[in-house]
Amino acid sequence: MGIFGPRREPGEPHPRREPRYPGPLTLAGVEEIFRGCVDFTKRPVALEGGPTLTLCYLSGMVKMERVSDYVLRPLAQDSSLAGCADMGALMKKMEDGALYNLSAAERTTLDQAAFDLVSGWCLLFFPGESAVLSLFTGTEEKRSISAPSNETVLKGARDAFVESLRTNTSIVRRHIKAPELRIREQTVGRQSATLVDILYIEGLTDPALVNRVAAQLADIDIDAVLATGNIEEYIVPAQRTPFPLLQYTERSDRFCAGLAEGRVGILIDGLPLGYLAPGVLGDFLRAPQDRSESWMLATVLTLLRYTCMLLTLLLPALYVAMVTFHQEMIPTKLALSIIAAKQDVPFRSAFEVIVLLLAFEILQEAGLRLPQSIGQTVSIIGGLVVGSAAVEAKIVSPAVLIVVAVAGIAGYTMPSQELAGALRIWRFLLVAAASLAGLFGAAAALAALVAHLAGLESFGVSYLSPFATESDGPAQGSGLIRRPLPRVKWRPAAIHPANRRNQR
Amino acid sequence: MRRVLCALLAAALLLPLAGCRRDVAALPRGREIEDMELMQTLGVDAAEAGQVAVTASSGAGDGPDSGATVVNGSAATLSAAVLGLQSEGASYLYFGHVGQLLAGEELARRGLWPTLDYVLRDVEMRLDTALYLVRGGEAGAALEAAARDGSAAGRLEAMAEDAGLLSGSARRTVKDAITDLYAQGATFLPAVTAETGLPAAGYGIVKDGALAAWAGEDAARGINLLLGSVEADVVELPLDGGGTAALRVVGASASVRPVVEGGALTGLTVICKVEANLAEGDLDLRDEQAAHALEEALARVEHDRAWAALSLARELDADYLGLLSRAALARPWHKAALENASLAGLELELSVEAELRRGYDAARQEG
Repeated sequence: MGIFGPRREPGEPHPRREPRYPGPLTLAGVEEIFRGCVDFTKRPVALEGGPTLTLCYLSGMVKMERVSDYVLRPLAQDSSLAGCADMGALMKKMEDGALYNLSAAERTTLDQAAFDLVSGWCLLFFPGESAVLSLFTGTEEKRSISAPSNETVLKGARDAFVESLRTNTSIVRRHIKAPELRIREQTVGRQSATLVDILYIEGLTDPALVNRVAAQLADIDIDAVLATGNIEEYIVPAQRTPFPLLQYTERSDRFCAGLAEGRVGILIDGLPLGYLAPGVLGDFLRAPQDRSESWMLATVLTLLRYTCMLLTLLLPALYVAMVTFHQEMIPTKLALSIIAAKQDVPFRSAFEVIVLLLAFEILQEAGLRLPQSIGQTVSIIGGLVVGSAAVEAKIVSPAVLIVVAVAGIAGYTMPSQELAGALRIWRFLLVAAASLAGLFGAAAALAALVAHLAGLESFGVSYLSPFATESDGPAQGSGLIRRPLPRVKWRPAAIHPANRRNQR
Repeated sequence: MRRVLCALLAAALLLPLAGCRRDVAALPRGREIEDMELMQTLGVDAAEAGQVAVTASSGAGDGPDSGATVVNGSAATLSAAVLGLQSEGASYLYFGHVGQLLAGEELARRGLWPTLDYVLRDVEMRLDTALYLVRGGEAGAALEAAARDGSAAGRLEAMAEDAGLLSGSARRTVKDAITDLYAQGATFLPAVTAETGLPAAGYGIVKDGALAAWAGEDAARGINLLLGSVEADVVELPLDGGGTAALRVVGASASVRPVVEGGALTGLTVICKVEANLAEGDLDLRDEQAAHALEEALARVEHDRAWAALSLARELDADYLGLLSRAALARPWHKAALENASLAGLELELSVEAELRRGYDAARQEG
């Protein structure tokens, strides 16, 4: 029995059936596959003075005007079609341009035909032929491109990703017009058959990195890709750590900046965000607007973020350690005021801190799950009213309230909410260690955290880059200082770009 | 096997929750801060039959009636006396915030080493604790007197912060005292009297760990002058044309040079430079003759003060000012001779130069 349930043998059979639908490609076969599907539509089309063809499609997946204008109208009006010698010639003529679709392809297997129908293509059956003509008439209903809702843009592009994969790739193409931009596609999910695109710039991105990402994606064998975790947790060792190992963004400019840096992008059909691989600690502490601000301001803000990271992680633990074990570290006047504030509080400091941290998490979770207007009310009631009432009732001391609030607010400065979440988990561990052994415990837990982070890799890149690097190379790049852009002439060495120079 | 190991590990992690501290003795012992009373001042006196009396005082509270807590006890050793105090207070007395340590005159004459050694070894006491001698009285009485008017901690902290302004007192820590005693065999410590308000009373000269003499007002100012720790001392001098000039001494520096004759160390030359501003007085600083006369008068005053401090060092043969080491630093090739020299056998020469830098009378300077 492991932490995540019964342990299974790695080689336990879970074979894919290939092909999924065996047998000849016939109208009956397609009808059998879509038996009981009310949206499956079949329509005979009689050519004037010629054979009767059969058109199949799935209602809702195709755009009716396209079917009418691009397929049915030429079939009804083009008299030359009836003059074809046989069905093979007729199909060839249609494929070569007698029909007006942009995409037309001959399909010979039942699998291809079935997946075409699901993807918004329509099938044209020819009597006596073993192949069918597949014509793209898919509907392109989608949410319009809008500003990102979760990543604030002060100065920068506002075309955030949407749920449509092809729209997203087009957005990327509009930002990166280099023909070297490559978009490789894979299908993931037995039931969802979700399209996942791998984007990179040829001649710039490390080919080994691209192949590694592609191999990881190809290795996924799941039912459906419906949530982000369906991809994330399968291509990085996420079971071992709460820290994010893939960077995600809904901002197309940030995504494209990552591609230009030599990283690999992943876009998933149905998800309005893009992933960048590899993702290391420094990436999660950089805000998208850093490149849009003065390098001095960006550097100060970066330093502030690192400080806040340490603050949110260490402050509660340091407080517990100091008021319980190392009172001599506290300045005398502060110690006297803490004593005065805690005089009538019945709980131990560690208990107080842990309970308040839990209350903070509960408030945050409640605020997220509720509608925005009610969420704000809950935050105000929870944070202000209950907080001040608890202090007045001597249930918690004001010092603990301030410590937990400062630690919580410092956590909100993290550009990545996933990183902030991981820090929150470790914050609890540090408090527990500090309550057991004071600063020794906190230092031991911190050492364990550093060892944990040092052991992490994202697609072969050390998670602590650029603070730590491979054993055979010097540390390069800067994590704390955002240098003036004209001086940033090299792409990060850690991701092994094929071309490191990025400007003259 | 794996499950057993996991279970044992989990049990080991839960062990601290058992409440049996002895079982987890490897963990440090915690104590909640609100269960403590922070002692801020410690007084040590000589008691009868060779015992040591200890008086500890907390800081004054915020309220009008919340005076400082003062507890006292005695024992043969300082550690036992301090431990005995724990039974006096309402909560655990914590000595990690002791910022001032007062030693009574009798104890100081008997010897300060046991007290310094206690601070050095105790886990709670700090080496940066300020050390004071109580001139003509006992530390316990001084703390009791201060507690009636607030607390000793506040008064001594204020005195330490204003040391440069007073020019007759300087903050000295236990660490300074121990370092000086090891390095040069003598040191000086600020003194207070056991009266309300704990007024400063110059310095006590400590030689070989015991109080040897007191440095009065002039000698105390001379010590500060020779150490360069003067920020705003005011010297009043009569003017030729009548009236009094107030000179604010804003800086001083002293250099020490060995005097070697025929290859043998015969004495030390101390050169002291004093900078002052004219704070008050009907004097035009552009009048070079008058300014020079004032500078010479100031130099004479400061010479007398510095000479009082130097004389004390020579009389006691106590290099509490570190003159020999300063001379060795200036002339390293005479270091061996200086290390073996005694101040009593050396001639001391002192020259003081005073300089008036500027006046505060804007109208005169414009004219």
